[in-house]
Amino acid sequence: MSTFVIGYYALLLTASTAAAYFNKRQPFMMLFSLTLVSFIVGIIGGAGALRAIAFAAAALALAAMVSYAFREFLINIVGRELGKELRTAPLTAAFGMFVIFVYAIAGIFAPWIAPHGEAEVISSAFAPADANMLLGADQLGRDMFSRLVYGTRNSVGLALTATIAAFVMGAGAGLLAATKGGWFDNFMGRFADVIMSIPSLIFALLMLSIFGPSMPVIIIAVAIIYAPRVFRLTRAVAGNVVVMDYIEAAKLRGEGTGYLIRREILPNSTAPLIAEFGLEFCFVFLLVAGLSFLGLGIQPPTADWGSMVRENATLISFGEITPLIPAAAIALLTVAVNFVVDWMLHRSSGLKE
Amino acid sequence: MPKKKEVLLKIRDLKIQGYSDETWVDIIKGVDLTLHRGEVMGLIGESGAGKSTIGAAAMGYARDGTRITEDSSIEFDGMELTTATEGERRALRGARIAYVAQSAAASFNPAHKIIDQHTEAPLQYRLKKRMEAQEDAVDLYNRLRLPNPAEIGFRYPHQVSGGQLQRAMTAMAMSCRPDLIIFDEPTTALDVTTQIEVLAAIRDIVEQFNTAALYITHDLAVVAQMADTIKVLLKGSEVEEAPTAEMLSNPKEDYTKSLWAVRSFESPQRFRKEGATPLISVKEVDAAYSAGPKILNNVSFDIHEGMTVAVVGESGSGKSTCARVITGLLPPQKGEILFKGEPFPADYRQRNKDQLRQCQMIYQMADTALNPKVKISEIIGRPAQFYSGLKGAALKARVDELLDLIELDPSKYYNRYPPELSGGQKQRIGIARALAAEPSFIICDEVTSALDQLVAEGILRLLDRLQNELNLAYMFITHDLATVRSIADEVIVMQHGKVVEQGPKDDMFKPPHHPYTDLLLSSVPEMDPNWLSTLLEERGVDNLGDAAAAKIDPNDAKIVR
Repeated sequence: MSTFVIGYYALLLTASTAAAYFNKRQPFMMLFSLTLVSFIVGIIGGAGALRAIAFAAAALALAAMVSYAFREFLINIVGRELGKELRTAPLTAAFGMFVIFVYAIAGIFAPWIAPHGEAEVISSAFAPADANMLLGADQLGRDMFSRLVYGTRNSVGLALTATIAAFVMGAGAGLLAATKGGWFDNFMGRFADVIMSIPSLIFALLMLSIFGPSMPVIIIAVAIIYAPRVFRLTRAVAGNVVVMDYIEAAKLRGEGTGYLIRREILPNSTAPLIAEFGLEFCFVFLLVAGLSFLGLGIQPPTADWGSMVRENATLISFGEITPLIPAAAIALLTVAVNFVVDWMLHRSSGLKE
Repeated sequence: MPKKKEVLLKIRDLKIQGYSDETWVDIIKGVDLTLHRGEVMGLIGESGAGKSTIGAAAMGYARDGTRITEDSSIEFDGMELTTATEGERRALRGARIAYVAQSAAASFNPAHKIIDQHTEAPLQYRLKKRMEAQEDAVDLYNRLRLPNPAEIGFRYPHQVSGGQLQRAMTAMAMSCRPDLIIFDEPTTALDVTTQIEVLAAIRDIVEQFNTAALYITHDLAVVAQMADTIKVLLKGSEVEEAPTAEMLSNPKEDYTKSLWAVRSFESPQRFRKEGATPLISVKEVDAAYSAGPKILNNVSFDIHEGMTVAVVGESGSGKSTCARVITGLLPPQKGEILFKGEPFPADYRQRNKDQLRQCQMIYQMADTALNPKVKISEIIGRPAQFYSGLKGAALKARVDELLDLIELDPSKYYNRYPPELSGGQKQRIGIARALAAEPSFIICDEVTSALDQLVAEGILRLLDRLQNELNLAYMFITHDLATVRSIADEVIVMQHGKVVEQGPKDDMFKPPHHPYTDLLLSSVPEMDPNWLSTLLEERGVDNLGDAAAAKIDPNDAKIVR
């Protein structure tokens, strides 16, 4: 038996005994069941499998430490009120915020971070990774890492713009419908139904093949697809607010619709809307990536994660994981945003304990 | 009446903590309580005194975010609840300790029939077979004097009125013949006429089965009817405890005395000026919600400058609809509203700013009447800005002046948000918002019914002072006759959308009354522990609330048309 294996079991057993001694029920159960699992995995898979487990645990611990430190960092730099809110965030949410923060930095400072240009051909096709190219080259010999960094800017930027557009349209119409009521409400509701009845991918493909795949067309098409869902949510949330007595008081004061929406209704519906924003952002992001994968999204040579997966897909047959890296970037962002949204939903739903 | 028998519930040094601002804060600060079998104890105190928390703790239950500290002891029939397992405590609940919640309408599951919910506990604990439990339920309904006892259980909760639902809930609590029932403000949400039915029913059944009860309420007169002993609580600590009669006649602590003295406030009666044009006059108004039945039927009354007109009646009598017609939220089908002799546009959208400002409203629930996301300074400042066009320093000065008027310190409250205030403070902000418009007429819709008596009295005194200073007219919608007695100048009694009687206050409280007024007046609990018994003897158990209202003879000589 190698020293690694001996150390591995020794550490696990010491830790679980310590947990049991100090009466920490949950950590003990976790550590000891891990020990039992490790016995079996060790017999079947040998030292390699144990190494994998140790590596996964270390990665998890690292992520937890980073999230914990990042949360403390955020609490310290924001004001008191916001700091109190942040303290309620679980580690998963802190991890999500950290990932979003990293993506934001990568997107904003892309030209300075990326070692090579977005469309710069610097080596042969599918060149392996070396000191110059962190992740190797793509099918035309461009640096994969640089394109990934630029891709953050393009893919995330596009998805963000489209989501904001969808929210401006949907939330605006929803608030207006809830406040006005009557035929306007009915008309908007049926209009939203009509849009929702068209399959979204087909609608997007249709729009893109009619108007050509340019950035503005993608943004508008995606915004139109997602606006009705935002409309429905906003109308439902605002519908609960407009029946409150303070709205009646404002109406009796003679306030106009603009004031009612801006000062009275909107501040009371932001929490679910922000949560919905995070959720919709993920869907929009995946739709945009999907469109790019089909070749109808962002056009080459602009770097974009969806099309990067498609262009390098052939490498999969050679056992390379390169095409999976942009896919993993998409997955990581989606998971991160969902972590943050979960926390916000939890807060806004009042399930505090 | 106290029966010194075996001790059922013994609470010693109960401390309950709540988690807020990242520390544990004491909510209940060491309360002792001893309850014998068959004894009824009243727990009273203002909101936040910890009455309901103690009630829940008697079942060994602490709400989410709170915990019972380890050195407290709750002993139920020899069993220590604080150290019992969750399973053991669960076995007690429903079977040996039952709970009757404040709002039966919110506590029944609307998707199941009443009797299905009633028989759930006996079946769960295998005490009875389904059919036995059902027969027992009918028997209990009978004892609680519910109409159609054989049939009422097979309805859904929404098909039954509030008072009946509250009695059905009491029957449900009785289903396993528990040793202890906790009543958490069971009649607070009910009208006086309905309340009396429920009170009589609860008292009867508790006596019949010799059940011990904790009766939680903030209404002294109610607790005086129900309890053998009364315990007064203030901010999580006990103030004093004594048998009911002694407590009423001879309270020891200052706080208790102040609670007892609350109903003493009375503003002097004002009279109409001869020949003056009324400020608001409602003329032969009929109103209904869209295609529904008529809510108001030929309603006419006048409100004069600087006077308070109280509109009383049980819920559903059209009081609030009347207010909606005057404010223009509900244009009447027939008739009109005159303001100083000039017709007021029927729809608020057609009124101009000056007409809108004249008539302001103060709402029952301050929680929903103030936008929780807007600062106090803006809530009060907006009407001043909107109507008078004040800006900057002038606006700030006006807001400070208004905060001073309602007796809140401007520097402290200027930048706060409504959720940070207590119920009474919120209601004051609601008043300030109405005043900011500089109105001549304010509609007060049940403004004190959600408040504790001490706080409510403060609000009434404030309203009265403001009326004298600013020459305001109030339309005071209420179902609480004590409030009417303290603040009103004229009284209007409504029933089924009609005005049954109106006149100056002093005349209204003197007989002869319209039979309905009489019923309302005699249903208000008094601070005499024998009041309910006396009343029951006079009227008979079957002549209470709805039953009595239905028996009013339409051709009674005292009904004036």
